[in-house]
Amino acid sequence: MTRVLELRGVTKRFGGLTALSDVSFDVASGELLALVGPNGAGKSTLFNTIAGVSPPTSGRIHLDGVDVTGKSSHALARLGVARTFQLVTLFPEMSVLENVVQGLHRHTRLAMLGGLLSLPGYRADQRRVAERAESVLALLGIAGHMSERANQLPLGIAKLLTVAIAFATEPSLLLLDEPAAGLSHEEATRMMDLVATEVRKHCTVVLVEHNMRIVGRYCDRAVVLQFGRKIYDGRADGLIRDEAVVDAYLGVAEMD
Amino acid sequence: MNSNGARIAALLAALVLLPFVAPPYALHVAIVVLFNATYAAALYAVLRMGYLSLGHAGFIALGAYTCVILSVRLGVSPWLGIPAGGLVAGLFAWGLGALTLRLRGIYFSLAIFAFGEIVTALFRAFDWFGGPAGIPGVPRPAFFGTPLASHFAFYWLVLAVAVLGIGVLYRLQYTRFGATLLTLRTADSERLAESVGIPAVRYKTAAFVVSCMVAGMTGAVHAQYLMFVNPQVFTFLTSTDLLIYAMVGGLASFWGPILGASLLTALGEQLFSVGYWKTLVYAAILMIVIMLLPGGLVDLPRRLRGLRKAAPDEIAAPP
Repeated sequence: MTRVLELRGVTKRFGGLTALSDVSFDVASGELLALVGPNGAGKSTLFNTIAGVSPPTSGRIHLDGVDVTGKSSHALARLGVARTFQLVTLFPEMSVLENVVQGLHRHTRLAMLGGLLSLPGYRADQRRVAERAESVLALLGIAGHMSERANQLPLGIAKLLTVAIAFATEPSLLLLDEPAAGLSHEEATRMMDLVATEVRKHCTVVLVEHNMRIVGRYCDRAVVLQFGRKIYDGRADGLIRDEAVVDAYLGVAEMD
Repeated sequence: MNSNGARIAALLAALVLLPFVAPPYALHVAIVVLFNATYAAALYAVLRMGYLSLGHAGFIALGAYTCVILSVRLGVSPWLGIPAGGLVAGLFAWGLGALTLRLRGIYFSLAIFAFGEIVTALFRAFDWFGGPAGIPGVPRPAFFGTPLASHFAFYWLVLAVAVLGIGVLYRLQYTRFGATLLTLRTADSERLAESVGIPAVRYKTAAFVVSCMVAGMTGAVHAQYLMFVNPQVFTFLTSTDLLIYAMVGGLASFWGPILGASLLTALGEQLFSVGYWKTLVYAAILMIVIMLLPGGLVDLPRRLRGLRKAAPDEIAAPP
């Protein structure tokens, strides 16, 4: 198995606070990995660090064998890292389709001069992009909402759209920050079924999830963080039997 | 094209034929309207991506002074002064934009305000730039050996520059580049844009450069029209006037700021002889519009129909 992502001693400090402390693990190509941990354990910080929003204080990050430590968010997106945010983040004033069209940004050409001069290549590209966006929406089962405005969507559809935007970049590594949080049981099942089948066919997925049932049912492997340290790395269905995890995490799960 | 294209073509034809029917004073007003409409369209390109420029007059002044210094001090053709004015304004916009478009909200606005003030202060400070008195005797371009001395002839040059500037801004808004700029309007949505590979600062800087190039190019022609330039012509009050035009016209449509600039400029020219009344009247109109018609004049038809649609539809691209 080739490794899509390698973290080597990743440490992140904000002033005196150590949010991530010497975190190392690999993610193999095609894997569906859960990142688990109580609130404040450093999961979102780790996502931001991998996605280039805030570079690590020390340690290295390799993507497809290439050192990408310190690269910017948009540069990493072009290298194949896509992510969603913990709080639903969309382009609020655009339609569902236009949201996904923006997600296809790295596959478009001639945005400025081509459009200004209305070059034939630009128009062909526009059509191709619109078709591609529609097929992404169809894959996630929300093509019926194509022309609705993003800020008027119910949460279940909005969350699927956040995945659609990220998926449209055609990433090799997709980071999903709590894709099922806030959803009803049916919506969460629909989301996770899609992630574990259609989405997973095309890319490696790392997701943050609190629900142990979901982690055990859908994910291959789990990495558990506590106070910024890795305390577990192994089979997802072995999580619930690990003593350190039970002590550290499940003991406070009720307080979430 | 569609009915929109037909309407634009009809307006253009009317504008081209205007000198044959309008008296010289009306042509003077038309020329000033074209200048201000182009400036307002340029400002709108920046407003549309969520940034409030309080120093656009600085870029107009850069274009004007570039053109004037080239033609008066260095003897370069006034024709070359026009693109040169745009280029110099664009160059400064590039440097300044790359630095300040990382900022948001009031920080950007104040940085651009400071820039506008520095520009006028420098022109005032150095005699080579004309000092406080400015530079008189600015030549107008000649067409086949005949200088465009009359309003009649000069009007077409102004119209050509306005159509070029507004045309580029209009087309750009409806390209994919223009649509992508809308993803950068708030910090949250910019973070999402970056995460799908959109280099936000580069995009914003490019739009800012185009806006300021149009402003600078138009400023160059403006100086040729006035046949002089001094530090009092393009000031902070010019920048705020542009903002008033845009707000009164409305930000929901590309045409709003142009409409606001046209109406207020035509009105302002009537009040010119009574000096400070203009500022007072503009301010009063702005307050009335903000309180009674926050969407500006372009929102009026919809308001009259009693429709309260939630949001502007400027994002739907028509081309």
